[in-house]
Amino acid sequence: MILVVAEQRDGTLNRASLETIAAAQSTGDAIKIAVLGSGVDAVAQELGKAAASEVIAVDDPALKDYTADGFVMALEQLFAAETPDRVFLPHTYQTRDFAPALAARVTRPLITDCIAVKDGAYVRPMFQGKLQADIAVNDAGPHIATFQIGAYRADAMKAGSAPVRQASVAIDAAKIRQKPEAPFKEAKQAVDLSQAERIVAVGRGIKAQEHVALAQQLAAAMGAELAASRPICDAGWLPMDRQIGSSGQTVAPKLYVALGISGAIQHLVGMKGSRTIVAVNKDPEAPILEIADYGIVGDLFEIVPAMIAALNA
Amino acid sequence: MADRETLDVDILIVGGGPAGMSAALRLAQLQKEKGGEPLAIAVLEKAREAGAHMLSGAVLDPSTLKDLVPDFKERGAPLAADVRRDDIYFLTRSAKFRLPITPPFFRNHGNYIISLNRFVKWLAGLVEAEGIDIFTGFPATEVLFDGGAVAGVRTGDRGIDKHGQRKPTFEPGVDIRAKVTILTDGVRGNLTKSIVRQLGLDEGKSPAVYAIGIKELWEVPAGRTEAGRVVHTMGFPLKMEEFGGGFMYSLPDNLVSLGLVAGLDYKDPMFDPHVAFQHLKRHPLVASVLDGGSLVRYGAKALPEGGWYTIPKTYASGVLIAGDAAGFMNSARLKGIHLAMRTGMLAAETAFDAVRNGDTSEAALKAYDDRVQASAVRAELYPVRNVHQAFGYGTIAGAAFTGLSLVTGGGWIKDPLPAHGGWTRIRKLASYYKDARPDSESTVNPVKIDRQLTFDRLTGVHYSGTRHPEDQPSHLIVHDANICATRCREEYGNPCIRFCPANVYEMVDAGDGTKKLQVNASNCVHCKTCDIMDPYQIIDWVPPEGGGGPHYEGM
Repeated sequence: MILVVAEQRDGTLNRASLETIAAAQSTGDAIKIAVLGSGVDAVAQELGKAAASEVIAVDDPALKDYTADGFVMALEQLFAAETPDRVFLPHTYQTRDFAPALAARVTRPLITDCIAVKDGAYVRPMFQGKLQADIAVNDAGPHIATFQIGAYRADAMKAGSAPVRQASVAIDAAKIRQKPEAPFKEAKQAVDLSQAERIVAVGRGIKAQEHVALAQQLAAAMGAELAASRPICDAGWLPMDRQIGSSGQTVAPKLYVALGISGAIQHLVGMKGSRTIVAVNKDPEAPILEIADYGIVGDLFEIVPAMIAALNA
Repeated sequence: MADRETLDVDILIVGGGPAGMSAALRLAQLQKEKGGEPLAIAVLEKAREAGAHMLSGAVLDPSTLKDLVPDFKERGAPLAADVRRDDIYFLTRSAKFRLPITPPFFRNHGNYIISLNRFVKWLAGLVEAEGIDIFTGFPATEVLFDGGAVAGVRTGDRGIDKHGQRKPTFEPGVDIRAKVTILTDGVRGNLTKSIVRQLGLDEGKSPAVYAIGIKELWEVPAGRTEAGRVVHTMGFPLKMEEFGGGFMYSLPDNLVSLGLVAGLDYKDPMFDPHVAFQHLKRHPLVASVLDGGSLVRYGAKALPEGGWYTIPKTYASGVLIAGDAAGFMNSARLKGIHLAMRTGMLAAETAFDAVRNGDTSEAALKAYDDRVQASAVRAELYPVRNVHQAFGYGTIAGAAFTGLSLVTGGGWIKDPLPAHGGWTRIRKLASYYKDARPDSESTVNPVKIDRQLTFDRLTGVHYSGTRHPEDQPSHLIVHDANICATRCREEYGNPCIRFCPANVYEMVDAGDGTKKLQVNASNCVHCKTCDIMDPYQIIDWVPPEGGGGPHYEGM
């Protein structure tokens, strides 16, 4: 049995959890989904729409604010109770924080940032994605794996109806060493582009700051988030938290529209997992057109207004 | 400042390359041989892990290694291949001519092809096994003085944002105080540069001359080449007036290390070493090996080419300079690793004696210079002391002189041959191109970027594994960016956008019809070319926050 540990914050499910469920489903094994927190009923119900044998809601006031110690204590007990063969987690910042401690606590192997699971082996990129290593666990006991965001698609998750069960754990709040403070203000405002289903991204081809509004209009017409390649954020035309690529965010939306982005490899690594890529570029040799599903060679200042008009028609 | 920590050691080594690691290892050996109260020794390295900023061809002359680690084979030295075959070609755009005899300087029998990254990682393991601390991720930003004597270094602050404000993660740098500081901060090292100026260590010496080496590691289809094959090229893609050449070394597992070295004393302001390297890869000699293969790593690094007469005074009160930092490289043989290791060892011996005798004055540390003069380093470098300068008269004169120096012992009509700082030789567009002045945004000798064999700079940066946190001050300090947009643009056409192999420098629209300089500091591969070659000498390379920079795995 695979136990998928979903992630939520303040009652909102992190979409990367659905991707990890899809990864677990791809193995054909039986699946249980666990979600930890305080007041996670609604999230558990939402997870119940996935094809799985059950959803385990671990609701405890001590888990209200995330702490590494609290999560490790809760999950250690959950493992003992459920005895999963494997545990899958989305490779989020939160997972990065506690998964190593968890693996050490239960003294089981941890394979991080996987992009696929096949025939019992895990595929994980090495050397900035230049090579892919197949990692097999050389031991019969259970192990833990985390999955890169965008490696599986949330909409590939098989739907079903899983019963929700409450499970309780004993957490000694006095043993939690971390004392969470209120989140940083910046963090509150930051855009998590990895959660966006549609993204319109602009690059150098937009030429001047005043033209960014044009991309903004397209994004509004599509119900998309606005993002950018590095030069745009460097120039301060959009804030840094909207940068896609190796020094920005990695995204895998359903639809990615690249306007005037040539497609430097640093940008491509941040968005190549998108399901459908549309690129508008005046240079037919631009590398972005090699990975685009739909490439439009032309002047974005003619094409984008036409797209906006068509969407608003 | 009250919140700055200090650490006291006896001997501090700044820079964990072959010179620094050899110095550390030699100190550990002396400690064992001579006994007594153990000295406190520390090594500072700016890279996140030992060896991560190491880049070289590299063919290793094992002479120093045999002295430093006599059982190097048993201890698993990562020597990728014995040199089995050694060829030199003169290239034209589409043809190659193999030199019938490989000149003695280029004979590599008995040498090894290595990855300097792996080799230094291995040395670091030996150093750590001796109980010496290597502080990785700690760049030294300043030399500390006590009166007139060097008293240690200050490491860089962490957690400063791009506007110079402290972030919540701010940690001040540490003052590391030492009785003797051995500077092994590499080619154009920032601390060596500052003390050479401050203490006038280059007085009476010829100006330093450098080259840039751009290197790629490729995995090629099986059977294309045999491990242990060494190829050097002259001629194309460089002009006859340009110093340098190509190299292609075959490693096991179908890996090929190839690169281009180009003198940073070129005249043509439009010269673009990165484009020249792409041309080299398209040459049939190289393309026939690479075709169908794939790029694994990319990187670039400057080399000290000037030779014996350009080496500054390498000692002063409390400080010694060794390795590439001082310019111990043999440009005729294209080798410096063994000289870096040797001078590191000699510096260690001198520092050890000085600390034990309680005298670290300039007079006591002069023993280092005496050791170098009496060593194989001088025996190797003195006869070729004028070689690079002779290439200033063109490739043919240079090559002829290199040969002749075997017979004459290196003298010439003038000895030393007159020399100039490399950056003073670059000519203005109007003078070099006369009426056919090219657009500074153009490439005079363009190459097709096919993303199979040839790549643009930004793709190269990706393959260098370079990372720097974005929110920090630029570590490339341009003292007067107005010059870039006005004088330099007019006079030289902004050569920084061409000589930088990592797309750090860009001239972007200022919004009012003019151009302005944009410094993409996080692309920097720490090669130091801009600090060396900028014609106005207004760029200073200083270390970024610790741990930033390339990741030259296998280079």
